[in-house]
Amino acid sequence: MSPCERIEGLLASYADGELSPEEKALVEEHLASCPDCASLAACLKSVDAAFASFPEIEPAPALINRLRAVPHPRRRFRLSFDILLRPSLQPVFAVLTILAVGFSLYMASPDKKRIDQAINRQIHLGYSAFEKLTSRAGALTDSLGAAADNLFVSLGNLNPLGKAGSSDR
Amino acid sequence: MLVDLYAKKIFNMAYQFAGSVPEAEDLTQDIFLKLHHALPKYDFGKNFTAWFLTLAKNALIDEYRRTKWEKKQRGEFDESVHAAADADDPERGLAEEETRRVLWAGLNALPPDMRMAMILKEIQGKKYEEVAEILGLPVGTVKSRINRGRLQLARILKDRKVSAHVAL
Repeated sequence: MSPCERIEGLLASYADGELSPEEKALVEEHLASCPDCASLAACLKSVDAAFASFPEIEPAPALINRLRAVPHPRRRFRLSFDILLRPSLQPVFAVLTILAVGFSLYMASPDKKRIDQAINRQIHLGYSAFEKLTSRAGALTDSLGAAADNLFVSLGNLNPLGKAGSSDR
Repeated sequence: MLVDLYAKKIFNMAYQFAGSVPEAEDLTQDIFLKLHHALPKYDFGKNFTAWFLTLAKNALIDEYRRTKWEKKQRGEFDESVHAAADADDPERGLAEEETRRVLWAGLNALPPDMRMAMILKEIQGKKYEEVAEILGLPVGTVKSRINRGRLQLARILKDRKVSAHVAL
Protein backbone atom coordinates (compact mmCIF):
# COMPACT_ATOMS: atom_id res chain seq x y z
CA MET A 1 0.00 0.00 0.00
CA SER A 2 1.44 3.36 -1.07
CA PRO A 3 1.56 6.27 1.43
CA CYS A 4 -1.16 8.08 -0.59
CA GLU A 5 -3.50 5.06 -0.40
CA ARG A 6 -2.91 4.81 3.34
CA ILE A 7 -3.68 8.50 3.82
CA GLU A 8 -6.79 8.26 1.61
CA GLY A 9 -8.12 5.60 3.97
CA LEU A 10 -7.77 8.05 6.85
CA LEU A 11 -9.13 11.17 5.13
CA ALA A 12 -12.82 10.67 6.04
CA SER A 13 -11.98 10.14 9.72
CA TYR A 14 -9.60 13.12 9.51
CA ALA A 15 -12.42 15.32 8.16
CA ASP A 16 -14.68 14.11 11.00
CA GLY A 17 -11.95 14.83 13.59
CA GLU A 18 -11.87 11.22 14.74
CA LEU A 19 -8.15 10.50 14.38
CA SER A 20 -5.67 10.10 17.22
CA PRO A 21 -3.11 12.95 17.55
CA GLU A 22 -0.42 10.71 15.99
CA GLU A 23 -2.60 9.80 12.99
CA LYS A 24 -3.69 13.41 12.58
CA ALA A 25 -0.06 14.59 12.54
CA LEU A 26 0.76 11.87 9.99
CA VAL A 27 -2.08 12.96 7.68
CA GLU A 28 -1.23 16.66 7.98
CA GLU A 29 2.43 15.99 7.28
CA HIS A 30 1.48 14.02 4.16
CA LEU A 31 -1.04 16.63 2.95
CA ALA A 32 1.61 19.34 3.27
CA SER A 33 3.90 17.47 0.90
CA CYS A 34 1.38 15.85 -1.51
CA PRO A 35 -0.78 18.27 -3.56
CA ASP A 36 -2.82 15.39 -4.99
CA CYS A 37 -3.96 14.16 -1.56
CA ALA A 38 -4.39 17.76 -0.36
CA SER A 39 -6.72 18.40 -3.30
CA LEU A 40 -8.66 15.22 -2.47
CA ALA A 41 -8.99 16.31 1.18
CA ALA A 42 -10.28 19.73 0.05
CA CYS A 43 -12.80 18.02 -2.25
CA LEU A 44 -13.94 15.81 0.62
CA LYS A 45 -14.65 18.94 2.66
CA SER A 46 -16.59 20.37 -0.29
CA VAL A 47 -18.60 17.14 -0.55
CA ASP A 48 -19.57 17.31 3.13
CA ALA A 49 -20.47 21.02 2.90
CA ALA A 50 -22.47 20.57 -0.31
CA PHE A 51 -24.49 17.64 1.09
CA ALA A 52 -25.28 19.64 4.20
CA SER A 53 -26.82 22.37 1.99
CA PHE A 54 -29.07 20.12 -0.11
CA PRO A 55 -32.54 21.52 0.60
CA GLU A 56 -35.67 19.44 1.03
CA ILE A 57 -38.25 19.99 -1.69
CA GLU A 58 -41.99 20.15 -1.16
CA PRO A 59 -44.05 17.45 -2.82
CA ALA A 60 -46.62 18.79 -5.31
CA PRO A 61 -50.20 19.13 -3.99
CA ALA A 62 -51.32 16.78 -6.78
CA LEU A 63 -49.04 14.08 -5.35
CA ILE A 64 -50.45 14.64 -1.85
CA ASN A 65 -53.96 14.20 -3.26
CA ARG A 66 -52.88 11.01 -5.05
CA LEU A 67 -51.38 9.70 -1.81
CA ARG A 68 -54.58 10.46 0.12
CA ALA A 69 -56.50 8.50 -2.51
CA VAL A 70 -54.28 5.41 -2.15
CA PRO A 71 -56.85 2.68 -1.48
CA HIS A 72 -56.73 0.95 1.85
CA PRO A 73 -56.77 -2.84 1.48
CA ARG A 74 -60.11 -4.40 2.35
CA ARG A 75 -60.04 -6.23 5.60
CA ARG A 76 -60.70 -9.87 4.95
CA PHE A 77 -61.84 -12.18 7.68
CA ARG A 78 -58.85 -14.20 8.61
CA LEU A 79 -58.51 -16.72 11.39
CA SER A 80 -55.64 -15.26 13.34
CA PHE A 81 -54.00 -16.81 16.36
CA ASP A 82 -52.10 -13.62 17.14
CA ILE A 83 -54.79 -12.57 19.60
CA LEU A 84 -54.16 -15.71 21.65
CA LEU A 85 -50.52 -14.74 22.10
CA ARG A 86 -51.29 -11.49 23.89
CA PRO A 87 -49.46 -11.30 27.24
CA SER A 88 -52.62 -10.00 28.94
CA LEU A 89 -54.25 -13.41 28.43
CA GLN A 90 -51.48 -15.34 30.19
CA PRO A 91 -53.16 -15.37 33.67
CA VAL A 92 -56.36 -16.65 32.06
CA PHE A 93 -54.43 -19.46 30.38
CA ALA A 94 -52.70 -20.28 33.68
CA VAL A 95 -56.06 -20.61 35.49
CA LEU A 96 -57.53 -22.68 32.65
CA THR A 97 -54.50 -24.97 32.73
CA ILE A 98 -54.84 -25.53 36.51
CA LEU A 99 -58.55 -26.26 36.10
CA ALA A 100 -57.88 -28.66 33.23
CA VAL A 101 -55.19 -30.50 35.22
CA GLY A 102 -57.48 -30.74 38.26
CA PHE A 103 -60.39 -31.99 36.18
CA SER A 104 -58.29 -34.61 34.42
CA LEU A 105 -56.87 -35.82 37.78
CA TYR A 106 -60.43 -36.07 39.13
CA MET A 107 -61.65 -37.98 36.06
CA ALA A 108 -58.71 -40.39 36.12
CA SER A 109 -58.72 -40.91 39.88
CA PRO A 110 -59.54 -44.49 41.16
CA ASP A 111 -61.33 -42.88 44.15
CA LYS A 112 -63.70 -40.97 41.88
CA LYS A 113 -66.74 -42.46 43.67
CA ARG A 114 -65.47 -41.39 47.09
CA ILE A 115 -64.68 -37.93 45.76
CA ASP A 116 -68.20 -37.71 44.31
CA GLN A 117 -69.68 -38.75 47.68
CA ALA A 118 -67.52 -36.21 49.50
CA ILE A 119 -68.57 -33.51 47.06
CA ASN A 120 -72.27 -34.48 47.52
CA ARG A 121 -71.84 -34.43 51.29
CA GLN A 122 -70.21 -31.03 51.10
CA ILE A 123 -73.03 -29.76 48.89
CA HIS A 124 -75.63 -31.12 51.35
CA LEU A 125 -73.80 -29.63 54.30
CA GLY A 126 -73.58 -26.36 52.53
CA TYR A 127 -77.25 -26.47 51.61
CA SER A 128 -78.38 -27.30 55.16
CA ALA A 129 -76.13 -24.56 56.55
CA PHE A 130 -77.75 -22.17 54.12
CA GLU A 131 -81.24 -23.31 55.21
CA LYS A 132 -80.34 -22.85 58.89
CA LEU A 133 -79.04 -19.41 58.07
CA THR A 134 -82.22 -18.42 56.25
CA SER A 135 -84.45 -19.77 59.08
CA ARG A 136 -82.38 -17.80 61.62
CA ALA A 137 -82.66 -14.76 59.46
CA GLY A 138 -86.45 -15.32 59.33
CA ALA A 139 -86.63 -15.62 63.11
CA LEU A 140 -84.60 -12.47 63.47
CA THR A 141 -86.89 -10.52 61.14
CA ASP A 142 -89.92 -11.85 63.06
CA SER A 143 -88.51 -10.69 66.40
CA LEU A 144 -87.51 -7.34 64.91
CA GLY A 145 -91.04 -6.96 63.55
CA ALA A 146 -92.53 -7.78 66.98
CA ALA A 147 -90.24 -5.28 68.66
CA ALA A 148 -91.26 -2.63 66.15
CA ASP A 149 -94.95 -3.40 66.81
CA ASN A 150 -94.38 -3.08 70.57
CA LEU A 151 -92.65 0.22 70.05
CA PHE A 152 -95.55 1.58 67.97
CA VAL A 153 -98.05 0.44 70.60
CA SER A 154 -96.01 2.11 73.36
CA LEU A 155 -95.81 5.32 71.38
CA GLY A 156 -99.59 5.18 70.81
CA ASN A 157 -100.13 4.87 74.53
CA LEU A 158 -97.91 7.86 75.25
CA ASN A 159 -99.77 10.18 72.86
CA PRO A 160 -103.17 10.40 74.73
CA LEU A 161 -101.29 11.36 77.90
CA GLY A 162 -99.72 14.26 76.05
CA LYS A 163 -103.14 15.33 74.80
CA ALA A 164 -104.56 15.08 78.32
CA GLY A 165 -101.65 17.23 79.61
CA SER A 166 -102.34 19.96 77.06
CA SER A 167 -106.13 20.03 77.84
CA ASP A 168 -105.37 20.46 81.60
CA ARG A 169 -103.69 23.84 80.82
CA MET B 1 -52.58 11.36 8.80
CA LEU B 2 -49.69 9.20 7.58
CA VAL B 3 -49.60 11.22 4.36
CA ASP B 4 -49.30 14.49 6.31
CA LEU B 5 -46.51 13.11 8.47
CA TYR B 6 -44.45 11.18 5.96
CA ALA B 7 -45.18 12.35 2.39
CA LYS B 8 -42.42 14.98 2.33
CA LYS B 9 -39.86 12.70 3.97
CA ILE B 10 -40.54 9.78 1.63
CA PHE B 11 -40.79 11.98 -1.47
CA ASN B 12 -37.40 13.58 -0.73
CA MET B 13 -35.85 10.19 -0.04
CA ALA B 14 -37.19 8.89 -3.37
CA TYR B 15 -36.10 12.05 -5.19
CA GLN B 16 -32.59 11.96 -3.77
CA PHE B 17 -32.31 8.26 -4.59
CA ALA B 18 -33.88 8.23 -8.06
CA GLY B 19 -32.82 11.70 -9.18
CA SER B 20 -35.96 12.87 -10.96
CA VAL B 21 -39.20 14.40 -9.70
CA PRO B 22 -41.67 12.41 -11.87
CA GLU B 23 -39.96 9.15 -10.93
CA ALA B 24 -39.88 10.16 -7.25
CA GLU B 25 -43.62 10.88 -7.37
CA ASP B 26 -44.40 7.44 -8.82
CA LEU B 27 -42.07 5.79 -6.31
CA THR B 28 -43.65 7.68 -3.39
CA GLN B 29 -47.10 6.51 -4.48
CA ASP B 30 -45.85 2.90 -4.76
CA ILE B 31 -44.29 3.15 -1.30
CA PHE B 32 -47.55 4.37 0.27
CA LEU B 33 -49.42 1.57 -1.49
CA LYS B 34 -46.93 -0.92 -0.09
CA LEU B 35 -47.29 0.70 3.34
CA HIS B 36 -51.07 0.17 3.37
CA HIS B 37 -50.58 -3.50 2.49
CA ALA B 38 -47.83 -3.95 5.08
CA LEU B 39 -49.56 -2.10 7.95
CA PRO B 40 -51.34 -5.20 9.33
CA LYS B 41 -47.89 -6.80 9.78
CA TYR B 42 -46.48 -3.83 11.73
CA ASP B 43 -45.27 -4.79 15.19
CA PHE B 44 -46.40 -2.06 17.59
CA GLY B 45 -43.30 -2.57 19.72
CA LYS B 46 -41.08 -1.22 16.93
CA ASN B 47 -40.20 2.35 15.99
CA PHE B 48 -42.74 3.17 13.25
CA THR B 49 -40.60 5.76 11.45
CA ALA B 50 -37.62 3.41 11.19
CA TRP B 51 -39.94 0.58 10.09
CA PHE B 52 -41.55 2.73 7.39
CA LEU B 53 -38.20 4.09 6.17
CA THR B 54 -36.88 0.51 5.94
CA LEU B 55 -39.91 -0.39 3.85
CA ALA B 56 -39.27 2.67 1.64
CA LYS B 57 -35.57 1.83 1.34
CA ASN B 58 -36.38 -1.75 0.27
CA ALA B 59 -38.92 -0.51 -2.28
CA LEU B 60 -36.44 2.01 -3.75
CA ILE B 61 -33.56 -0.46 -3.99
CA ASP B 62 -35.83 -3.17 -5.45
CA GLU B 63 -37.07 -0.71 -8.08
CA TYR B 64 -33.50 0.33 -8.87
CA ARG B 65 -32.43 -3.30 -9.30
CA ARG B 66 -35.45 -3.95 -11.53
CA THR B 67 -34.83 -0.97 -13.82
CA LYS B 68 -31.12 -0.17 -13.52
CA TRP B 69 -30.41 -1.07 -17.15
CA GLU B 70 -33.01 1.41 -18.34
CA LYS B 71 -31.60 4.23 -16.23
CA LYS B 72 -28.30 5.80 -17.15
CA GLN B 73 -28.64 9.36 -15.92
CA ARG B 74 -30.30 11.26 -13.13
CA GLY B 75 -32.57 14.17 -13.91
CA GLU B 76 -31.45 17.77 -13.60
CA PHE B 77 -31.31 19.21 -10.14
CA ASP B 78 -34.53 20.87 -9.01
CA GLU B 79 -34.90 24.65 -9.37
CA SER B 80 -35.25 25.10 -5.62
CA VAL B 81 -31.68 23.88 -5.21
CA HIS B 82 -30.41 26.65 -7.49
CA ALA B 83 -32.22 29.12 -5.28
CA ALA B 84 -30.03 27.96 -2.40
CA ALA B 85 -26.93 29.48 -4.06
CA ASP B 86 -25.03 32.09 -2.05
CA ALA B 87 -26.65 35.44 -2.86
CA ASP B 88 -23.93 37.53 -1.14
CA ASP B 89 -21.05 36.02 -3.08
CA PRO B 90 -22.25 35.03 -6.58
CA GLU B 91 -18.90 33.50 -7.59
CA ARG B 92 -18.79 31.28 -4.51
CA GLY B 93 -22.47 30.53 -4.97
CA LEU B 94 -21.86 29.34 -8.51
CA ALA B 95 -18.94 27.16 -7.39
CA GLU B 96 -21.12 25.58 -4.70
CA GLU B 97 -23.93 25.08 -7.16
CA GLU B 98 -21.52 23.38 -9.55
CA THR B 99 -20.32 21.13 -6.71
CA ARG B 100 -23.93 20.20 -5.92
CA ARG B 101 -24.59 19.43 -9.59
CA VAL B 102 -21.50 17.19 -9.78
CA LEU B 103 -22.48 15.38 -6.57
CA TRP B 104 -26.09 15.01 -7.71
CA ALA B 105 -24.90 13.28 -10.87
CA GLY B 106 -22.17 11.46 -8.92
CA LEU B 107 -24.70 9.77 -6.64
CA ASN B 108 -25.64 7.65 -9.64
CA ALA B 109 -22.13 6.21 -9.69
CA LEU B 110 -22.57 4.74 -6.20
CA PRO B 111 -24.00 1.25 -5.62
CA PRO B 112 -27.63 1.48 -4.38
CA ASP B 113 -26.88 0.43 -0.78
CA MET B 114 -24.06 2.96 -0.50
CA ARG B 115 -26.18 5.66 -2.14
CA MET B 116 -29.01 5.04 0.30
CA ALA B 117 -26.63 5.21 3.29
CA MET B 118 -25.17 8.48 1.94
CA ILE B 119 -28.62 10.00 1.43
CA LEU B 120 -29.81 9.11 4.93
CA LYS B 121 -26.64 10.28 6.68
CA GLU B 122 -25.24 13.10 4.59
CA ILE B 123 -28.36 14.70 3.06
CA GLN B 124 -31.07 13.85 5.59
CA GLY B 125 -28.69 14.29 8.53
CA LYS B 126 -29.57 11.11 10.39
CA LYS B 127 -27.25 9.63 13.00
CA TYR B 128 -25.18 6.53 12.20
CA GLU B 129 -27.34 4.52 14.64
CA GLU B 130 -30.56 5.57 12.87
CA VAL B 131 -29.10 4.74 9.44
CA ALA B 132 -27.95 1.37 10.77
CA GLU B 133 -31.47 0.63 12.08
CA ILE B 134 -33.10 1.56 8.76
CA LEU B 135 -30.58 -0.41 6.69
CA GLY B 136 -30.52 -3.34 9.12
CA LEU B 137 -26.71 -3.26 9.30
CA PRO B 138 -24.13 -2.87 12.09
CA VAL B 139 -23.08 0.73 12.80
CA GLY B 140 -19.46 -0.02 11.84
CA THR B 141 -20.48 -1.33 8.42
CA VAL B 142 -22.65 1.74 7.82
CA LYS B 143 -19.83 4.06 8.83
CA SER B 144 -17.27 2.46 6.53
CA ARG B 145 -19.81 2.38 3.68
CA ILE B 146 -20.53 6.08 4.08
CA ASN B 147 -16.84 6.97 4.31
CA ARG B 148 -16.12 5.04 1.11
CA GLY B 149 -19.01 6.85 -0.58
CA ARG B 150 -17.74 10.26 0.53
CA LEU B 151 -14.27 9.44 -0.75
CA GLN B 152 -15.63 8.17 -4.07
CA LEU B 153 -17.61 11.39 -4.57
CA ALA B 154 -14.58 13.48 -3.55
CA ARG B 155 -12.57 11.71 -6.28
CA ILE B 156 -15.33 12.44 -8.83
CA LEU B 157 -15.32 16.10 -7.78
CA LYS B 158 -11.51 16.26 -7.97
CA ASP B 159 -11.46 14.70 -11.46
CA ARG B 160 -14.13 17.13 -12.57
CA LYS B 161 -12.11 20.08 -11.28
CA VAL B 162 -8.96 18.81 -12.99
CA SER B 163 -10.76 18.33 -16.31
CA ALA B 164 -12.37 21.79 -16.02
CA HIS B 165 -8.94 23.30 -15.30
CA VAL B 166 -7.41 21.52 -18.32
CA ALA B 167 -10.28 22.72 -20.54
CA LEU B 168 -9.58 26.33 -19.51
